[in-house]
Amino acid sequence: MTDALLSARGLRKTFGGLVAVDDVSIEIAAGMTHSIIGPNGAGKTTLFNLLTGRYHPTRGVVVYKGRDITALPVYKRAHLGIGRSFQITNLFPNLTVLENARLAAQALGKDNFRIFRLATSFDSYIRRAYEVLEITGLREVAALPANTLPHGGKRKLELAMILACDPELLLLDEPTAGMASEQVPELIQIIDRIREQGAKTIVMVEHNMSVVMNISDRITVMHQGRVLAEGDPRQIAADRMVQAVYLGELYDLPKGESA
Amino acid sequence: MIQKQNSPIQRGWLRRNALPLLLFAFLVLFPFIVGAITDSSPYGVVRGDRMIMRGESVRWQSVLIEAYILIILAMSYNLLFGFTGVISFGHALFFGTSGYVLGLMLEYTAIDTTLALFVGAALGIVLCGVLALVIGFVTLRLKGVYFAIFTLAVAEMFYIFFSRWQLTRAEDGFAITELPAWLDPSQSRINFYYLSLAAVILTFVFIRRLVNSPSGAVFKAIRENEDRAQSMGYNTLNYKLLSIMFAGMLAGVAGLLQVILNKKVGPELLGVSYTVDPLLMTIIGGIGTFTGPVIGAGGLHFLDVFLRDAQINLGGVVIDIANIWALLLGVIFILAVIVFPFGIVGTWQRWQARRHRHPEKPLPDAAAGQD
Repeated sequence: MTDALLSARGLRKTFGGLVAVDDVSIEIAAGMTHSIIGPNGAGKTTLFNLLTGRYHPTRGVVVYKGRDITALPVYKRAHLGIGRSFQITNLFPNLTVLENARLAAQALGKDNFRIFRLATSFDSYIRRAYEVLEITGLREVAALPANTLPHGGKRKLELAMILACDPELLLLDEPTAGMASEQVPELIQIIDRIREQGAKTIVMVEHNMSVVMNISDRITVMHQGRVLAEGDPRQIAADRMVQAVYLGELYDLPKGESA
Repeated sequence: MIQKQNSPIQRGWLRRNALPLLLFAFLVLFPFIVGAITDSSPYGVVRGDRMIMRGESVRWQSVLIEAYILIILAMSYNLLFGFTGVISFGHALFFGTSGYVLGLMLEYTAIDTTLALFVGAALGIVLCGVLALVIGFVTLRLKGVYFAIFTLAVAEMFYIFFSRWQLTRAEDGFAITELPAWLDPSQSRINFYYLSLAAVILTFVFIRRLVNSPSGAVFKAIRENEDRAQSMGYNTLNYKLLSIMFAGMLAGVAGLLQVILNKKVGPELLGVSYTVDPLLMTIIGGIGTFTGPVIGAGGLHFLDVFLRDAQINLGGVVIDIANIWALLLGVIFILAVIVFPFGIVGTWQRWQARRHRHPEKPLPDAAAGQD
């Protein structure tokens, strides 16, 4: 397909004798929200790390916008427009919320080595930081150290930071991990707003089925290191095999949904 | 009109910086204040056609110069350790290297003394920067302890090399006999005092400027979470190299001053104590704070000066503190870490922050009413 923003072909990753990901091919179409699901140990996170560049595959290629990025280090991928969030909250804990966001905004600029100017004198980065804090509802707490935020606030800051980089492709690793269920809708709203903002493509690993079913355009189901099924949420929910290994009897498609 | 507009700003600036400005004035006048109190000349005593460095004022000038040197060393260590989060066990390497370069230039070349001084100083600092970049490039990919061990090994290698090298008289080291009279601390100590004071202030200002720059923001990001900094697009190795390069060069500045003050070059400059001391001073003063290393290094040095020659009389048993100094320092260090878990300055800042945040809490209604 020509409209794939990110694609992987024949990815394999072994850790010692363990095959974590085995011959996985996936195509992420531009503008789509694509979720990767599967039971624990299915290889989702490994696949995710192969796409973000944290791991390099034993075999196979990762292509972004027609360019082979398989061997490209993490920071260079960020410069191509790939941003990622982390499953385990991964902030700059002792810096303020604003500074966390400002660092993200500054990252892809050209001023990083201007050592004789004050970091706070670059208005555009600060404006961008406040913008993303506004979107994620963190503006009020901008001056607090990041580690004083409640867990939900930290998850939002995760999103704010990846937004501040303004990536074309967002890789979200379990954005709702550890969040109280009443906070989840708020996070979905934020993700929705990110999608509306522009031609953003999102790849998401997520355990929370209602999140996945609500916001995904496409779902890839993994099982034992391989792709078990792929399709839109309705197809996946209806897929017998997927139900057997993963969804069990627990999930029923919301009634009256026509997506 | 313009003056009227400016004056409140200036007054505000003056008030905000009252304490450092007072301290600065005190340090500038220090040789004269001590001179007036002890009735000694800050320039030393005239003997025939030259000056002899005798009297309380010049003696105290050396004490302060020693403190300044340690403060520069501790500040440079803090740039790397406190602000960038890179733990090096080889900081003495830079301290000693620049010292040896200057010494070799002054004593082993036939160039004019003043020229040799400037060339040696510049070369020493540049070499420290290059050395730091080379070491950093090879090893900064290693994390934490591995990097620390490697730097320790390199510093020890230099230490062993210079303890054996016959040209520089191995373990004995060699004395600096040629220094321009205007700088020679045994002829015009007050000049060297002001040079060292200027070096401390410039180092302080430079580090604060660097840490508050966009690069400095990335230093702190690396200290907090290097993986995250990379995933945002920062090539963190470059920033760590920048940090270690400046830390190395500033430690080199301290080494130059040390060599000029003692007029001696020897392998002890490369010894592990010039790594451990700034480390302890930084921890006690406050890691990752601007004034922490100043207070830590200055404080420990003055403790050293005041206590080392003192005696304790315990029921007829006289104990020379000099004999138990290392033990006492250990106790002080343990106590400091228990009482000030984030260093003196760091703990103070946290305490202040808590105090300022608290008063808002009992008044949620008032806060809500404002919005």
